[in-house]
Amino acid sequence: MRDFMKFYSNLVDRCYNDCINDFTSKTLTTKEETCIQRCTDKFLKHNERVGQRFAEYNQGVAAQAQSAQTGSGGWFGGGR
Amino acid sequence: MSFLPFGGGGNASSQQINQQNIAMVEQEYEAVTETFYRIVGTCFKKCIPPKYIEGELNKGESVCIDRCFSKYIEVTTKIGEALAKKGQEAGKSGFGV
Repeated sequence: MRDFMKFYSNLVDRCYNDCINDFTSKTLTTKEETCIQRCTDKFLKHNERVGQRFAEYNQGVAAQAQSAQTGSGGWFGGGR
Repeated sequence: MSFLPFGGGGNASSQQINQQNIAMVEQEYEAVTETFYRIVGTCFKKCIPPKYIEGELNKGESVCIDRCFSKYIEVTTKIGEALAKKGQEAGKSGFGV
């Protein structure tokens, strides 16, 4: 849940900042709405793609750790 | 959690191992999710021009994302190694960062 909120607010923040710059009206214009829609789509796809790379990377690390059987491996530690 | 390299083993009581493992897994999970969100945020900013002509990722953006990811990992690793080295050198008396 915390992760979802992080993701959600990050998305809103980004798309709001990129799409909403005109404050001559109180409601969203069609243009702004379209922009938000596309920005959201893009962000989701971007997130998905990074997720795929991330999974691949983690698999690589796991394989390395398994073959080495030693190291603290993983993210920040360890020599390789 | 197959990617976490904590193969069990050791002589301590199993309860101790479990508690230690849980704490380690939690920490690792935090670090991994944090890194993930950082990468998503950073690479989106660097690779996606804020024009939103379409909702799809185009070829250039996709390539950029892949490279941005790889480089982020590389930089994380490099800096981690540099810090570890510094820590070892300055280390014995205390970690002076």
